[in-house]
Amino acid sequence: MNQRQAVEDFLYHEASLLDRPDLDTWVSLFTEDGRYWMPAAEDQADPINHISHVYDDRVMMEIRRRNFVHPRASSKDWPVRCSHLIGNIRIHIDPSADSSAPDSGSATGDVLTVTSNQHVVVWYRDEQRVYAYRGTHRLLCAGNQFAIREKRVDLINPDAPQRSLIIYL
Amino acid sequence: MNRVPDRNFDALVTPTRIHRSLYTDPALFELEMERIWGQSWIFIGHESQVPNPGDFFTTHVNHNIPVVMIRDKDGSVNVLHNRCGHKGAKVVEARSGTVRGALRCGYHGWSYRFDGSLLKIPNEKGYENTGFDPQSACYSMQRLAQVDSYRGFVFATLSSDAPTLQTWMGGARECFDNLCDRAPEGEVEVAGGVLRYEHECNWKFILENLNDTMHPMVVHESVVKAAEQYIATLPDDAVNERREAEIIPPFGASYEKFEDSGITGFDYGHHYDGGKTSIHADYSVDPEYHAAMIASYGEERTREIYAFNTHNVCFYPSLTIKCAVQNIRVIRPISVGRFIVETWSFRLKGAPDSMLQRTLLYSRLINSSMGMVGPDDLEVYRRTQEGLASPSNDWVEFHRQYGKDQQLPDRVVGGGTSDLDMRTQYRAWKAYMEGSIFSAKRSERASMGETQ
Ligand code: FES
Ligand SMILES: [Fe+2]
Repeated sequence: MNQRQAVEDFLYHEASLLDRPDLDTWVSLFTEDGRYWMPAAEDQADPINHISHVYDDRVMMEIRRRNFVHPRASSKDWPVRCSHLIGNIRIHIDPSADSSAPDSGSATGDVLTVTSNQHVVVWYRDEQRVYAYRGTHRLLCAGNQFAIREKRVDLINPDAPQRSLIIYL
Repeated sequence: MNRVPDRNFDALVTPTRIHRSLYTDPALFELEMERIWGQSWIFIGHESQVPNPGDFFTTHVNHNIPVVMIRDKDGSVNVLHNRCGHKGAKVVEARSGTVRGALRCGYHGWSYRFDGSLLKIPNEKGYENTGFDPQSACYSMQRLAQVDSYRGFVFATLSSDAPTLQTWMGGARECFDNLCDRAPEGEVEVAGGVLRYEHECNWKFILENLNDTMHPMVVHESVVKAAEQYIATLPDDAVNERREAEIIPPFGASYEKFEDSGITGFDYGHHYDGGKTSIHADYSVDPEYHAAMIASYGEERTREIYAFNTHNVCFYPSLTIKCAVQNIRVIRPISVGRFIVETWSFRLKGAPDSMLQRTLLYSRLINSSMGMVGPDDLEVYRRTQEGLASPSNDWVEFHRQYGKDQQLPDRVVGGGTSDLDMRTQYRAWKAYMEGSIFSAKRSERASMGETQ
């Protein structure tokens, strides 16, 4: 399998875990220093000095996946199901990536930046909604094995009033 | 739309219960927009959003009246109706930005000074000898009836009868002082952008929920348990992870803890819980920030500032602030079953960046539409909105600790799990709706010899 096929398979696999959703397995796709980021502004440069809809490290992902299945989380009483459709996948070798940076945990390897367009149809609270975003995955790779160092979700309407969303896109 | 008929508000609001139509009746909603939002001081924005002449920020003063806050050349901040004096087009369309020279309408090109006065009409000679008077105020962009700010927070009102901003704030004003005093330089500024969150329910639910201290341990139980379960898996040396996860468990604080925090209510519907303690009281203090505070204020005053620990402060009906967290939420109704909440975060001037980062972390986790707290609150508001369609019971009650509220000269205080906040805001709701709120207060103020 060539690298492009392997990357595509990985994105499809990741999306299928969110479609079902299976957050426990999904979280395990991230490196220890992995991040999930949904900015609240167009071309947002900074995740910590500017507000985001989500900027989760593994700590928050660990809390979120436990909350997601908790029997007393009222916003989760409604089933949520998604359908991701992924297109326009492009692979960029990241010249600035330094995979041996001290914050990268124990994982080492090359870093790939993969961009894609994702359309997600979400079923929640008796209603279907559509989200569209540019996805940017920074993937740590060893051969054809990948781990997500950062998944960035740039909604096409990041500054619009958003409605409750209980699932990662 | 037909004129809304007047109501017998005694039949809708009593000291301990309100009629369900307050949440479901579109005609009553229109009347609220006219009498509550159309009379009260409404939060518009913060001066730091418009630092230089020509900088502007647009919003609505109720569900549909568009306004623009703009910095004038003399440094003052104006709030104008965003309506062209010609045929009525909105003059400023962007949410924020800077205009050079003059405001210019995009329809026929009339232009206005930053105080709203008409500057120029293209091809003006067509108006000669027509009786048109360019000096007439009705051809300018008009100022709201009253505009004022307190420590940088800009409010405006459509009512010329409203008392001064400071009188209207009453004792709740201390909360703005506390928020700003938490800055080593004594000032705050908007920073880090805004979150917008759409709520599919009546706007009053969020104001009722702010200081509803009987809900967190129920509504937020799951996220608290999730955080505790996760913290329990951490090794001893996972200091950073523990510190980060710590922000969540206070949301499940016990009834006793909330009882101790107390609730305080003011004239015009304002209220807060906390004061001497709150669920934010146990957050650890950043050492660099602490040093900057001591350098500015000295040990004793610094302790005093930290010790005033409110949770949510509601400036009825448009604003709620968190002094200890340095964020605010701005409410704007859309219709009887829909409103928008905007969360803005503040930088404490003179504090290290870590303080703003903590504020943003809080806003993200708690107030975001993808947060782990906000969506559970909204879920119960929606259930209430849907449940109140039932004709089985016309009433929503708030009796908790009724009869124990203690009236002080400028405020009412009571137990932290009381419904004092509900009684406070619905007393104001009724007075606004009856149209009596400012006239009654005006005569009281006159008899107390207050000068405006
Ligand atoms: S409507 Fe504004 S110039 Fe005509
Ligand atoms: Fe809540």
